[in-house]
Amino acid sequence: MGIIDKNLSLRNRNRMLLGIWEDEDKLVEATSELVRAGVKIQDVYTPYPVHGLDRIINVRRSWLSIVAFLCGMTGFSLAFWMIYYMYVQDWPIDVGNKPVRFGPSWVPVLFEATVLCTAFGMAFFFFFRNRMIWGIKPALLDQRQTDDRMVIAIETGEGVDEKKVLKIMKDHGAVELREKSGGVQTTI
Amino acid sequence: MGHGHHKNKIEITQEQFTVPAKAKRFAIAITILGLILAGIGIATIDRNGSRGHGHETAATKHEHAEPAAKGSEIAMNEHASDSHGEATKHNGSVENESFGPRASFHTQNKPWTTLIWSNILIVGYLLFMVSLAAMFFVAVQYIANASWSAAIKRVPEAISTFFPVGFALAFIAILVAKNDLYHWVHYEHQHLTKGQPGFDAILDGKSWFLNSNMFLIFPVVLAAIWWLLGRKLRSLSVAEDAAQPGDVTFFKKSIRYSAGFAVIYGFTIAVVAWLWMMSIDAHWFSTIFGVYNFATSWVTALTIICLFVLYLKSQGHLKIVSDEHIHDLGKFMFAFSIFWAYIWISQYLLIWYAHIPEEMSYYQIRFEEYKFNFLLNVVLNFICPFLILMMRNAKRNPVVLTIVGSILIFGHYHDVWLMVVPGVYGPDQQIGLLEIGTLFTFLGIFIYWVLTALTKRGLVAVNHPYIEESANHDVGV
Repeated sequence: MGIIDKNLSLRNRNRMLLGIWEDEDKLVEATSELVRAGVKIQDVYTPYPVHGLDRIINVRRSWLSIVAFLCGMTGFSLAFWMIYYMYVQDWPIDVGNKPVRFGPSWVPVLFEATVLCTAFGMAFFFFFRNRMIWGIKPALLDQRQTDDRMVIAIETGEGVDEKKVLKIMKDHGAVELREKSGGVQTTI
Repeated sequence: MGHGHHKNKIEITQEQFTVPAKAKRFAIAITILGLILAGIGIATIDRNGSRGHGHETAATKHEHAEPAAKGSEIAMNEHASDSHGEATKHNGSVENESFGPRASFHTQNKPWTTLIWSNILIVGYLLFMVSLAAMFFVAVQYIANASWSAAIKRVPEAISTFFPVGFALAFIAILVAKNDLYHWVHYEHQHLTKGQPGFDAILDGKSWFLNSNMFLIFPVVLAAIWWLLGRKLRSLSVAEDAAQPGDVTFFKKSIRYSAGFAVIYGFTIAVVAWLWMMSIDAHWFSTIFGVYNFATSWVTALTIICLFVLYLKSQGHLKIVSDEHIHDLGKFMFAFSIFWAYIWISQYLLIWYAHIPEEMSYYQIRFEEYKFNFLLNVVLNFICPFLILMMRNAKRNPVVLTIVGSILIFGHYHDVWLMVVPGVYGPDQQIGLLEIGTLFTFLGIFIYWVLTALTKRGLVAVNHPYIEESANHDVGV
C-alpha cells in the first residue's frame, strides 16, 4: 500500500514478513503455531513482557545480569580505591580515634557505590542495547510497537513458505500483515 | 494475566503425603546421634571445677553469687565512663583467675546444668522463631496477593505447627534456669533499693518492664495470640480444600486474618526478642535488636521451607511445583541473607561508631573473646550464601540449595548461640559436642514433627484461587 515510515526500520535490511497484533494471547498462539510449523522467527516485539513468549521463541538468556555483576565489581573497586587513597594514603583523619584501616565505616560506602554502579550500569546498558538512548536510531518495526501493538518478524528466504506463514498469521488474529524490504514496508 | 491459554492445562490433583520409613529413620537417627553427642558433651564437662559448685543448692548459690554481684556493681561504678563495663562485670571479682575451657560457669557460680538449659534455650528460641516466621510467610503471601506460592503453602503451614514445641522448650529452659541465665533476674531477687550496696541504677530503671512477671507472662500471652491466629489461618486453608471450586470466601477471610497476624507479629516479635534474648545482657540495649532477630528467624524459615519443598519434590510429591518455585525460594534465601547482613552491620556499625560504653559492652566481649565466632557469623550467614547463590543456576540447583541451606541453618543457630553465650558465661565457651548434640536432637524432633504434620492434610491447596496460576508460574529465561 505504500511506504509507512522510512525511519521505522531495523538495521536488518533483509526482506521480512511482519504480522501486527493487538492481543497478546492471540500473539502467543500465533507464535506457538509458527514455531510448531517449523518457521524460523526473527524476533517478536512487544511493548511489555508477555509471559511464556521467551520460552516459545527460545530467546537466549540476557547478558544483563553479567553486566550487573561487572558494574557492581567496578563500583566496589572504585569505592575501595577511593577510600583507600583518600582516607589511608593521602590524608588520614582521626575520627573518634578510630583506626585508619579497613573497618566497619568502609562498609556503607562500599555498599552504596556497588549498588549505585550496578543500578546505573544496568539501566544504561539496558537502554543502550535496546537502542533507546541518545544518538541511536530506535529500531522499530511499527510506531505503536512501544505502545499497544505487537509485531512478529520473520525473515524470508530459501525454505520459507511465505503463503503458509501469512495464513497462520491471518488465522491467529493478526490485524495487519506487511512485507518489509530494505527500509520500506508494504501492507499485504 | 491470561497466560493460561497457551500452556497445556496443568492437572491439579490432591496429594497425600505419608512419611517414608527412611525419613522416619533419618529423623530418629539425628535425634539419637544428637543425644549421644550431647551425652558425651555433658559427661566431659568438668562439673566440680576448681571451686566445686557442682551440686550446690539454690540458697548457697545465691550466697556465693552475692560477692560477685557486688564486685560487678563496683566495677560498673568505677568504669561508668569506660568501655569495659560489661566485660568487667562478666569477669566480676574473679578477673585474675585463669580460665580453662568451660571454666566460666564455675567462676560465675553457676551450676553445670546451666549449660544444658542455655543450649535448650538457644535451639528452642531459634525453632519457635522459625516456626512463627513460617506462619508469617503464609500471611505475607495472602497480604501481597501472591500467586506463585499457592503450590507450596502447605509446607510453611506444617512448619508453623512446631511453634508450641519450640516455645515450650525455650520457656521451660527459662523457667528452670532463669536465675543463672539472666543476671538481672538474680539481681531482682535481691530487692535492693537506692543507696544500698550493690544497687544497680540501670536495672532498677528498667524494672518496670524487665521484671519476672513481664518476662514470663507477656511472651505466653503473645504466643497464645500468635498460635490462635496461626491455627485459624491453617484451618481456613484446610476448609478451602473441601469448598466448592471458585468459592473465595475462605481466601478473603484468610487475607483479613493474615493482615491481623502480620500487624500483631510485627509489633510483638521484638518484645519477645527483648525479653528473652536482649535481656541476657541486661545493661545493654539495641533498638534494632527485634528486627535483627526477625531477620535471623525469617531467613532460616525461608531456608527450611526450601529444603522441605526440595525433599517433597525428590519424593515425587508436589507435582505442580517446578524449578520456577525453587528458583524463587532460592532468591528469597539469597535476598534475605543480604537483609540479615544489612541489619547485622546496621546494629554493629552504629555502636562501633558512637563508641558509647553502655552500648559497646555487647560487642566488646564478642569481638575480643569470641573473635573467631564473630567473624564466622558473617562468613556463614552472608558471604557463603551471597557468593554461592548469586548465580541463577545455583538458585535452581537442589544440591547447591541443600548445601547453602545447611550452612544457613547452622549459621543462624550459631548466630543465636553468639547472642546468648557471651552474655551468660563471659569468655571461654565454644560450640562443642553438647551444643551440636542439642541442635541435632531438636532438629531431629523438628523434622519428624513437620513431616508428620505434612501427612495431616492434603499437600496441595487444591481450591486456592491462585493454584492454577501458581502451577503455571514462570520467572522467565
